Amino acid sequence: MFPMHLLLAAATAAPPLTLADKIVAGVIISICGILMIAVLARVPLIYNIRNLFVRWPITLLTGSAFTLVVGLLVVMLGFVNGMYRLTENSGNKENIIILGQGTQDEVFSSLGFAAVDDIENLPGVMRDDQNRPVVSKETYVIVNQPITNPQPGRPKRRFLQLRGIEVPDLSGLVHRVELQGEWFSTAGVRPDPSGDASKPNLVESVIGQGIARTLAGDVGKESLTIGDQFVVGDRRCVVVGLMLSRGKTFDSEIWAKRDLVGKSFGKETYTTMVLRATTGKEAKRLEDFLKNDYSKGSIDPMLETKYFANLNGTNQQFLYAIMVVAAVMAVGGVFGVTNTMFAAIAQRTKDIGVMRLIGFGRLQILGSFMLESLFIALAGGALGCLLGSFADGWTANSVVGSGQGGGKSVVLELTVDWKIIAQCMLFSLVMGFIGGLMPAVSAMRLKLLDTLR
Amino acid sequence: MKLLLMMLKNVRRNLIRTILTAIGTMILVLVITGIWSVLEFLDNATSEKSQNIKGIVTERWQIPSQMPMSYARPLEDYSWQGPDNLMTWQFYGGTTDPAKRTFDSVFFAIALEPRKIHTMMDELDTLPPAEKQNLVDIAEKMTLKREGVVVGPGRLKLLKKQVGDRFKVTSFNYRGIDLEFEIVGTFPEGRYDLSAAMNRDYLNDAMDAWTKKAGKPHPMARKTLNLVWFKFPDATVFNDAADKIMNGPDFKEVPVKLETASSGIANFLEAYRDLLWGMRWLLCPAILVTLSMVVANAISISVRERRQELAVMKVLGFVPRQILILVLGEALLLGIFCGGISSSGAYYLVNKVFGGIPFPIAFFGAFKISTHALWWGPAIGATTAFLGSVVPAWSARTVKVSEVFSKVA
Repeated sequence: MFPMHLLLAAATAAPPLTLADKIVAGVIISICGILMIAVLARVPLIYNIRNLFVRWPITLLTGSAFTLVVGLLVVMLGFVNGMYRLTENSGNKENIIILGQGTQDEVFSSLGFAAVDDIENLPGVMRDDQNRPVVSKETYVIVNQPITNPQPGRPKRRFLQLRGIEVPDLSGLVHRVELQGEWFSTAGVRPDPSGDASKPNLVESVIGQGIARTLAGDVGKESLTIGDQFVVGDRRCVVVGLMLSRGKTFDSEIWAKRDLVGKSFGKETYTTMVLRATTGKEAKRLEDFLKNDYSKGSIDPMLETKYFANLNGTNQQFLYAIMVVAAVMAVGGVFGVTNTMFAAIAQRTKDIGVMRLIGFGRLQILGSFMLESLFIALAGGALGCLLGSFADGWTANSVVGSGQGGGKSVVLELTVDWKIIAQCMLFSLVMGFIGGLMPAVSAMRLKLLDTLR
Repeated sequence: MKLLLMMLKNVRRNLIRTILTAIGTMILVLVITGIWSVLEFLDNATSEKSQNIKGIVTERWQIPSQMPMSYARPLEDYSWQGPDNLMTWQFYGGTTDPAKRTFDSVFFAIALEPRKIHTMMDELDTLPPAEKQNLVDIAEKMTLKREGVVVGPGRLKLLKKQVGDRFKVTSFNYRGIDLEFEIVGTFPEGRYDLSAAMNRDYLNDAMDAWTKKAGKPHPMARKTLNLVWFKFPDATVFNDAADKIMNGPDFKEVPVKLETASSGIANFLEAYRDLLWGMRWLLCPAILVTLSMVVANAISISVRERRQELAVMKVLGFVPRQILILVLGEALLLGIFCGGISSSGAYYLVNKVFGGIPFPIAFFGAFKISTHALWWGPAIGATTAFLGSVVPAWSARTVKVSEVFSKVA
């Protein structure tokens, strides 16, 4: 007896399919469908493929349109994917981010000292091996910094994201930051290496790799390294550590001693507190407590993963824009293949008549011409995916935010993964299908006598 | 003339192909027109001018800029020809639904002197007389009725309100300063679609009232002035004012800077640099190439189908140059016509019906189609048609009569 109950149990136990899984399944089913039409319907596959080669200039033109559209779509989706990855990677599920009440952006937030000191001692907050609460108390400012040697036609200033932190190793632990070099000292400053006592002390700073590359452009280097100096506001800073934070929002940030940051930019209070709970479940409990029952300060607590998910507003806007552009560009591909297939049918009317005479049915004629347009879509789309996938790993500047103004400037890495390739292949096949349908139907409907006249 | 008639007839010969190519051209030109309009607007906004310069005073180091309101008075001394060429902006933000703050319930207003709305605000200072008069009337109402507010049509829609409605805002940047407003008018569609402007006296009086009641200054008391706009006739006057303001003795509490509006906007757009680069140098060329391919495809098929006909024409005395012109002309005719229809249609629909392209980038919400689009469309259509048809047209020109008829025979 067929073990139906086992099959049902396996199906129930399997995790639900994500959208990407469904798309991949769609592509596989589509390709299998093409092959099945070819085999089961006894479509003259070789005849179709030969025709594509015989009319190679037109095939090439049509296929190139698919390559271009799909290649560009891969790059655009890789950009948005990179932004999503960035926001996903930046949040930890055990962390809770606390901002001042009513603010959703760190830059507008203000937290009272008393509340911050109280919250870090709440039960459920993780403690390190020295029994210190694992929290990061921060002052975040955006500095409008003049560029030392601006290129002609380029902006004269840039925005630097500066995060003042109190205990750097704890902040590193909270944000899971790997460091090359060292954290800044307790004083947060060091004398100028020239030994000239009249020169002000240098502010020790730890910077992300992305901003290290950006700042290095001013001094003609590829990236700032440990010991290099740069200016923030009117203070000279020295790099003491590099955050290996590629793919996180911190990649675009400069971290320094909080007292110095606050004093330099007139922001004496904390803007942000991030605390690490012992577990994800405990983090949720703490978030609920702080949101509903905590009364010693005006705060807005949020799970860090949720906070960064809220920063996906800009990503959504870009994604919608890309969908519109892709749909419009697809029109080019669709009409190209429609024209090509109509021309193919007009040239091969007699062929169609002969095929009908030797026994091919109407559906086989339909399948035959549909296959031709799908082949063009498959080949053009595959080449587009291949070319577009070279964009994987490119870096680009962008902004992540809630889509309601504000946001963070970030350096992101374009990420072309298999899901994007699958989506774009499916997109290409759909273009081929839509473009080929009308001509194939018209070929199917040709009357035998008319075709042979 | 004869050739033109032949071109027209040939275009009409295979209607399905012509329609498909025409629709493809129109849609792709539409997208290019939209993208170029956005890029042109941003280029204009960020390019430095030598005359009629707008300047912005902001906090020197920090974003967001928060200066004391007491700076407004001494800054008037640096305004060219008096305070009429200066406008203060204070940002008041809040929600109409404090229990559930969503994008739709967010209310954000620029607090300013109402009479400056139509004289100092970008684009509103250059409106046609009828529209300008409307804003003058609104400004008068806002002066008389200090809770009066002018709201962009898009924001009005999101708030589900209309002119004459009253609503209360719970502020999130001025905690405790919750204000009630009455909508007295709307901005024209476009740049200020999602914005609102209120009388600055209403906000500042509310701050004073809060201080009196609480017995201490509001936490935001010394941070209420966000930016100050100036108008300058030329770069010399601007540079002079910039030098005085940046080194002025009145602005020590919070250091300030004066920069041109274009420079300030360019700083904000820097974060979008790669995105804009991609739009300009990847997306647009790709669309143009796709369009050329669509045309090339259609014309190639057409030439291929008409080889016999072209050979007959040669026999009848048409010279190769005429055949080349005939085929190129067909493509150009279609490209120019469809490009023109598309861009002028986009100009009308986007600007008059939809009120702009919703593409929120930096602090711009919607973009109008440029008037230049009226020639961009035919030009794009013509260029892509030429590029797409030049090879097939050349191949038509070189059709060999003997070869064609030997195959027929």
